[in-house]
Amino acid sequence: MTDLNKLTLKEAREGLKTKKFTPVDLVQSCLDRIKLLDVKLNSFVTVISEEALKQAKTVDINLPLGGIPLAVKDNYLTKDILTTASSKLLDNYIAQYDATTIKKLKNAGAIIIGKTNLDAWAHGSSTETSDYGPTLNPWNLNHLPGGSSGGSAAAIAADETIISVGSETAGSIRQPAAWCGVVGFKPTYGRVSRYGIIAMKSSTDSPGPICKTVDDAATLLEIMSGHDPRDATSINEDTWKKPEIRQNLNGLKIGLPLSYFSPQTQPEVKEAILKAVDILKKLGAQILELPDVLDPKYSIAVYTILQRSEVSSNLARFDGIRYGHDRSYFGTEAKRRIMLGTYSLSAGYYDAYYLKAQKVRTLICQDFDKQFQKVDAIIGPVSPTTALKVGASEGQAMFGELQDMLVEPSSIAGLPGISIPCAFDKTGLPIGLQIMAPQKREDLVYQIAKLFEDNTDYHLQRPNL
Amino acid sequence: MSDNLITDAVFQHTARLSRLEIKSEESYIKDQLSQAAEYVEVLKELNTDNVLPTYQVNHKSNVLREDNIESSFSQELALSQAEKTENNYFKTTATINKNK
Repeated sequence: MTDLNKLTLKEAREGLKTKKFTPVDLVQSCLDRIKLLDVKLNSFVTVISEEALKQAKTVDINLPLGGIPLAVKDNYLTKDILTTASSKLLDNYIAQYDATTIKKLKNAGAIIIGKTNLDAWAHGSSTETSDYGPTLNPWNLNHLPGGSSGGSAAAIAADETIISVGSETAGSIRQPAAWCGVVGFKPTYGRVSRYGIIAMKSSTDSPGPICKTVDDAATLLEIMSGHDPRDATSINEDTWKKPEIRQNLNGLKIGLPLSYFSPQTQPEVKEAILKAVDILKKLGAQILELPDVLDPKYSIAVYTILQRSEVSSNLARFDGIRYGHDRSYFGTEAKRRIMLGTYSLSAGYYDAYYLKAQKVRTLICQDFDKQFQKVDAIIGPVSPTTALKVGASEGQAMFGELQDMLVEPSSIAGLPGISIPCAFDKTGLPIGLQIMAPQKREDLVYQIAKLFEDNTDYHLQRPNL
Repeated sequence: MSDNLITDAVFQHTARLSRLEIKSEESYIKDQLSQAAEYVEVLKELNTDNVLPTYQVNHKSNVLREDNIESSFSQELALSQAEKTENNYFKTTATINKNK
């Protein structure tokens, strides 16, 4: 059987169960694809061939992910496997334990076929600040995949794997998913355990799936979610379960923040979102324009201060004593962020920067509370543009913040959100629609996204590689 | 904006607090810090006089557990990733000079 790598999770599961092919066939097919394409794309930092094929021979296919190839962002700790966070500082670090999510995915039968590339330490939105070279966008190799989970998104778009996981702090799942034309599901903060994921901005870090369809992503979220005593900010709830699929969106009010469109928004992105609005209306939703949503420029500033501050604290542990190399191995981007964070937190500047940002964060949360009294969910573009060209992030100290301006507010407030493909621009680059809901309302996000996907075919299109 | 200009002295002090050595070819970071500090000035437009800070968005307070002894890493595993070890301990550079 050929092209097994192109299957969705749902299709792969059916094929395995009906014995059309074996887990070894499926894993081999993905490994062949990686061998063929990854010289160009560079989605993976590490490919795990031998061990993956060995596991495929004995895996129980009756498990929820039994025999399914999984690509893991390289900031998830994976026991006995090199875990670099795409940094040279950790180029020798063999993880001593599995992240909670990795344990769950392994117990569900998933087979890790590789660790995917990211902006070093997840600091960025391009995947070109990786210490292992940039990942390229499968839709056009002259363009970036977005980031920081760019390797996972590109691997899914290029059919190098069946499923993947990434992590989002403010856009790192949704933005690369949008730029690569795949589905990225960012859960409510605390829905998925952070334990064993190399910490970036602990107060918003949210691990989540990047997949080929909404349903696949939701299946992964079911498995990844649930309370973890090892993560003090983990929500005290059982695993999340997919709700019933809706037949229509009758009775649902969906908000469109006007401040999410600016003169910098690419006209085709705006057109695509307005077209998506029409589709949602046809499905029965009532669309309400939201004229008074807080300008995302404040979220950029809040995020910049808080992210740098938490980074300076989280990266303090890398002293080269217990693992990895010493601090001289940090790249320029990490140094820049540590420096700004230390500055914001240091005596004399704390009130003006860090404390002020935490207060504005309260205003951002209150603003969402206010909007969600009027609407059930909010939609908008994921990114103001389609994928930018390779090199676009170079020398731009605020590149990520500006690219992620439309996903930062919801990340700062800990809301769940999804990016789904909703159009292509003139040059054939994908455009992503984001759907956000109040905390713990992944059910709404899923229902709207699923119905949109079932009534469109953008998710079925694949790049010519 | 001159208010946000990060001086050499503040820059050097911040690098020392950060335990980082900034190479001469990376000195442009100083200007970028000033630019970022200027960008975030936008927050001053918002009145936060009676607003409490939000450090944590899912409203959890201290999470406690029983202090039960659980199995953990073996010494061998804990040391396995260290570049320098001696007599089954991590080896660090000295922080106290006994001659002083």
